[in-house]
Amino acid sequence: MKVTLVSRNGREVVKGGIELDESATVKDLQETIHARTKKYYPSRQRLTLPAKPGGSAKPIVLSPKSKLLDYCEKGKSDNLTVVFKDLGPQVSYRTLFFFEYLGPLVIYPLFYYLPLYKYFGYADTDRTIHQVQTYAMYYWCLHYSKRILETFFVHRFSHATSPLSNVFRNCLYYWTFGAYVAYYVNHPLYTPVGETQWKIGFAFGLLCQVANFYCHIILRSLRSPSGNGGYQIPKGFLFNIVTCANYTTEIYQWLGFNIATQTVAGYVFLVVATSIMTNWAMGKHRRLRKLFDGKEGRPKYPRRWVILPPFF
Amino acid sequence: MAGILSTVKRIYLAIYNWAVFSGWLQVLIFAIKALNESGPAAVYDAVEKPLQLAQTAAILEIIHGLIGLVRSPVSATLPQIGSRLFVTWGILYSFPEIIRYSFFGMKEALGFTPSWLLWLRYSTFLLLYPTGITSEVGLIYIALPYIKASEKYCFRMPNKWNFSFDYYFASIGVLGIYVPGSPHMYTYMLGQRKKALSKLKVE
Repeated sequence: MKVTLVSRNGREVVKGGIELDESATVKDLQETIHARTKKYYPSRQRLTLPAKPGGSAKPIVLSPKSKLLDYCEKGKSDNLTVVFKDLGPQVSYRTLFFFEYLGPLVIYPLFYYLPLYKYFGYADTDRTIHQVQTYAMYYWCLHYSKRILETFFVHRFSHATSPLSNVFRNCLYYWTFGAYVAYYVNHPLYTPVGETQWKIGFAFGLLCQVANFYCHIILRSLRSPSGNGGYQIPKGFLFNIVTCANYTTEIYQWLGFNIATQTVAGYVFLVVATSIMTNWAMGKHRRLRKLFDGKEGRPKYPRRWVILPPFF
Repeated sequence: MAGILSTVKRIYLAIYNWAVFSGWLQVLIFAIKALNESGPAAVYDAVEKPLQLAQTAAILEIIHGLIGLVRSPVSATLPQIGSRLFVTWGILYSFPEIIRYSFFGMKEALGFTPSWLLWLRYSTFLLLYPTGITSEVGLIYIALPYIKASEKYCFRMPNKWNFSFDYYFASIGVLGIYVPGSPHMYTYMLGQRKKALSKLKVE
């Protein structure tokens, strides 16, 4: 069969189209496109069916495992038009996460160990390090080490890659906030809270981190290793009451850190992180509700908190 | 119910835009008057009140964007407004503001705007953005030693909340934001111009 590959403004991406066997899959098509165009490796390709004129429905994305025949119109199995979009240079999620987490892991201890504050106008003469500051450093580093380890050993990603531009954007976010919080918690003029308060804060935070880890293990088991990336109804543990229990535990974990360290910078970070995760959670909740609508034998998505009981 | 809500929204936006328009018009008139009668040094004192009002009203605009009252993306309006909150500059801003607010005022109140106003709105930035940005950056840069010495708007540690704000460092940070911010804003406006003026041709 012949596949005509066009860009969104109608131009032919591969002149003369591509000839493929009838039993070919989308993956075969992607590899052929790569071979013919050299620079568009498969993860950079976004292949969709042409949108119906006048319709505002989202275009149908070709799934790599499916056969090309599945997308052909009835009776027209020898010809298929596919719309191509270049997603730009891609980076694996593992790479993205590794670099964005590496920053905070390295930057925070710099503020703790090195005499950096003299560059901000504070003579480094008698700097007493409070116990809570030491524990805060351990807590922070534990958190980001955990994240890196989870990236390599726990998480199963639905998309293998992310655009390269996200590396700069995400690193800017994580590294800047990391430095911002680290600056204040390790400041020579830092005022610690009472011992009971920071002990409770760290204990609560650690508990949430463990819970968060368990959530990630559960999420991992929802996806098969072959990377099908399909959606399932999460269940077990906190997922029975909250859709995005992993985000919930993450947010509460930062709350624990802030109760212990009490800086405006830390709370700002908490608020920003919470709003970002809440945004994601709403999207995920909506997607799951739409997918599991109880029709056609699909299970109905149960009523649950979206992300932050008891508020939302 | 939805109909009433959208009418209220339009009335509110119409009043808001015309009010801020008259504020900026005042700024311009006072500024030119003071310039004529007394010279540049007197300009700030003459325009201070309406200017502060108009600038603060601009914060409302960010909120409008955030709550979805208007369609401008927050990433475009926030740096725009933020930069002007930082440095207020009477004449340079009253021009585009007068254009902009009368544009929106007419749109909300009457449902349309004259095409020459549309053209003005999407063309004056071509010159005023570079001059405006240069003057803002220049002013901040010149002011830096004074900011450092005066210690104004500074909140120091130690305190219970382990918080500090240093106007001097914040200013340096702002200068840094101009580096990616200016091309982003300019290209955004170029894109908007293309869209808006092509719509004009279609009509």
